[in-house]
Amino acid sequence: MVEGLSAPQSAAAGVNQTEPLLSCRGVSKYFGAMAAVKDFSFDLARGEVLGIGGPNGAGKTTVFEVISGFNPADRGTVLLEGRPIERLPSHAICHLGIARMFQSNAGFDTLSAEQNVLVAAAFGHAPRLIPPLTYGADIRRAADEALDFVGFRRARSTEVRGLPALDRKLLMIASALATKPKILMMDEPVGGLNLEEIEQLMALVRKLVAAGITIMLIEHVMRFLVQLSTRVMIMNHGEKIYEGTPAGLAQDETVTRVYLGERMSKRIVAYSAGVGPQ
Amino acid sequence: MSATRRNVLAGLVLLAIAIALPFVLPGRYLIGQLTLFFIWATVVTQWNLVFGVAGIFSLAQMAIFAFGGYATAMVGLYGGWNLWLALPVGALAAVVFSLVVGLACLRLKGPYVALLTLAIAQGMYLLIITDTACFSMEGVTCRNFTGGTRGLAKYGDFGFREWLGYKYMAFGDYYLALGVLVLATAFSMFLMFGPIGAAFQALRDSPEYATARGVSRFKFQMLVFASSAFFTGLAGGVFAGYYKVMGANTLYLSPLLFLLAMMVVGGLGRTWGPLVGAAALMLADEGLKDFPEYRFMGIGAALVLFVMLWPRGIVGAAEAIGAQLQKRRSELGGTSTRQH
Ligand SMILES: Nc1ncnc2c1ncn2[C@@H]1O[C@H](COP(=O)(O)OP(=O)(O)O)[C@@H](O)[C@H]1O
Ligand SMILES: [Mg+2]
Repeated sequence: MVEGLSAPQSAAAGVNQTEPLLSCRGVSKYFGAMAAVKDFSFDLARGEVLGIGGPNGAGKTTVFEVISGFNPADRGTVLLEGRPIERLPSHAICHLGIARMFQSNAGFDTLSAEQNVLVAAAFGHAPRLIPPLTYGADIRRAADEALDFVGFRRARSTEVRGLPALDRKLLMIASALATKPKILMMDEPVGGLNLEEIEQLMALVRKLVAAGITIMLIEHVMRFLVQLSTRVMIMNHGEKIYEGTPAGLAQDETVTRVYLGERMSKRIVAYSAGVGPQ
Repeated sequence: MSATRRNVLAGLVLLAIAIALPFVLPGRYLIGQLTLFFIWATVVTQWNLVFGVAGIFSLAQMAIFAFGGYATAMVGLYGGWNLWLALPVGALAAVVFSLVVGLACLRLKGPYVALLTLAIAQGMYLLIITDTACFSMEGVTCRNFTGGTRGLAKYGDFGFREWLGYKYMAFGDYYLALGVLVLATAFSMFLMFGPIGAAFQALRDSPEYATARGVSRFKFQMLVFASSAFFTGLAGGVFAGYYKVMGANTLYLSPLLFLLAMMVVGGLGRTWGPLVGAAALMLADEGLKDFPEYRFMGIGAALVLFVMLWPRGIVGAAEAIGAQLQKRRSELGGTSTRQH
């Protein structure tokens, strides 16, 4: 009995707190002859919000595709808590605790809002050899909590097909949450939203961070990226051209030249001043 | 919850009617037609899981049906088994066959699935009708393993004649086919209302998003092909026992189209679609039976009409009208209902 109890404790002690949660080592991805991502490496620590920026076609989404198992890397390795995952299929990666969102407003259009989240709660948390035949209380609770967490206000029986952009994004986040992820990967989450909606989503991301979820965030809207991220990477032509604090972006000449431009660089100084020291 | 209850209630009412019908129907012809209706409706409820719910455009359902029928007949003929015992064996054989079909289609999408499954069905047909090798001798004539162009016969039946006598033997087949349909319908509805059906639909709506939420495409494609094959194969076995001849005509294009039309006219992926569609097409076919030259054309016309005008089928259209009425009623009577 004592030994049975001590086992998980020693396992917990074995977790190296300084070991990165996620680690990409020398990842390359080619489409034909073009390298969409070239010898790319980074670490993600627990509790971080890692922002990724860069011009269109820089390879940001491709990095997500590689990590989430949609498009396996041609070279390099991806480690989740020290364990290589680059050969796993996407559903298995979801089971391990990496939930991704899509740049497009993905959804199960013919299902209701609630079913969209129920599916994720039923199948996304852990691998099940035998699929559940009914929605058990635990599955329903997970879906319910996720919908409450994101503040989904519409009737849960609404068919997803006709929902406006913000509701679809909230649902995508809720379904990700229902899988109980360690890492949430958001690909341009505020695309197509108005200012007020962007504020709402920023508040939600902060709430996610407070709930202990580590976040990777691709975004073009610099205010969103700068004010939310604890660290930022800028990509260009499949390579990392900047890694550091959001405030440091404005001082970086390469970033200013290839991505931000002078005007945006000045604005970033203001944005990051708005955040203040955390 | 209330939707489930309503469905169960509707099912029970229909079942009660179906149980009573043979006693009030005049003559055996209609009982025979209804038996056939139950068999086709069974196949359509299961096909709907693959085609409508999971959105996989498989045209292999009649091949699976035939596989179950042939396997049942062969187990009866060569194994000497009682046909009641051969039935589940045939159904399981159909499941294995369907799994192979599902595996073959795994990497294909949309129309390519339709092409491959049609080719599989056609291949099966050709294998049967070109089978001329002697498998066993029956007196001085030689019998082919698959029955060849003549089909398989003399593999026994369900023994209703001995049990119920000549007068009521048709009742036996009727209730057997009805029983299979009830089980098949309950099974498909149970899947559709639960997480497994939702996973099928999620993969249909957006395969990438579904896998990103932990739904394994491989697993659920295998699952939908396997689960939809059991009752299809069972229906094939019942068909074999009912007709007492199992032939390659089950693999012709016309029954396939007939059943496809049932599924589309009823409403793809809808819970009651297959039953409504099967009933509508059987009725239409019955109405056209004195004009054989228009029969096949009628099926084609129904398919075209519904695909173009009412792609959600009769059930889908009825649901839309119902929703409209409910909306209007709640707009008009919002205050009066509150007073109660
Ligand atoms: N499936 C694909 N096939 C071929 N080329 C692709 C594919 N996906 C992305 N690319 C190319 O890879 C490059 C990086 O794309 P992406 O990662 O989507 O950029 P970003 O998200 O930074 O805008 C682009 O040039 C894009 O055209
Ligand atoms: Mg992108």
